[in-house]
Amino acid sequence: MNKIMIIIIACAAANYLLRVIPFFFSGGDNIPPYLKRFLDYMPVVALGALIFPGIITSFPQNPAAGIAGVAAAAMAAWFFEGLILPVFASIGVTWFMLQYF
Amino acid sequence: MQSRSRSPFFNDSAEGVKSAVPIFLGYFTTSVAFGLLAVSAGLTPFEAVFFSMSNLTGAAQFMAINLISAGAAAGEIIVSVALLNLRYFIMSASLARKLGFKKAYRKLLTAFGVTDEVFSVASLKPGRVSGSFMLGLQGFSWLGWAAGTLAGVTAGSFLPRSLQDAMSGALFALFTALLVPEIKKSLRPVILAGAAAGLNTLLYYKFQISAGWSIVISMISVTAIGAAIFTESEEQASMESVEGENE
Repeated sequence: MNKIMIIIIACAAANYLLRVIPFFFSGGDNIPPYLKRFLDYMPVVALGALIFPGIITSFPQNPAAGIAGVAAAAMAAWFFEGLILPVFASIGVTWFMLQYF
Repeated sequence: MQSRSRSPFFNDSAEGVKSAVPIFLGYFTTSVAFGLLAVSAGLTPFEAVFFSMSNLTGAAQFMAINLISAGAAAGEIIVSVALLNLRYFIMSASLARKLGFKKAYRKLLTAFGVTDEVFSVASLKPGRVSGSFMLGLQGFSWLGWAAGTLAGVTAGSFLPRSLQDAMSGALFALFTALLVPEIKKSLRPVILAGAAAGLNTLLYYKFQISAGWSIVISMISVTAIGAAIFTESEEQASMESVEGENE
């Protein structure tokens, strides 16, 4: 089996364990407030770490193309609901930058 | 046609499917993006669809293909995904109490389909929530996620090379689009995400830590510090001051 399939199956197992364990061992009614906040903040923190510096390293020849794409996505997301429009706006701007700059 | 069937199984499942229609639409469109990006990150169409069918998780799947295309090791990817999805543990704990299923197969089945959106719908539904309802709700949500990826990988195979190159940045557009609505709500997410971005960039460039582990370290340390600093303090602060006065 190749590396990607192993990763997919291991991730599936990790996700399933996180989801299934509480159904069988539901002892913890009271989640400590610190842990609750930790879990609440995790997704937003993750997004910050996921965007930088990944966007710079993704286009080693033309980092500006990636940054312009993210800026376009941020503007689209600021004014419109949904995820599809920002993604398309970003692809369009990045494509333009890669072609002409 | 069985349209006259009045069995509770049929009725509850149909109600579940109906509640899942908005989820289906949201998942389908997001998952089309996943299919497109997964193929441009080097996954085969089968791997991409299998990923969605077996994992049924949003941002973590995007993160995983990002790390795969960055050449990260399997361990880094799995730890990052598990960390990002720790919240499922809390959601399942809360849902398990609400649902109160006794049969093991119900628990095993329902657990597989716990997502942010399914959790919200099931938690907010008043009264008893049946296993059949959950089956309809989760089954249809799952279908939207799986079918979207299939549509995405199919569309991706027709795209020209230049557009596929541009799409390697689309992942970050998606992360940005997830972050912007949070930023609009308050200042706290700006500080948290900004600190994580700064620390991750520092770890990656200055300390030469690999992409996956630097994300893991940034996530844990910034979240740990953030949760210690940003307490839901209004009430607690006033409580503490009252206690202080009593001494």
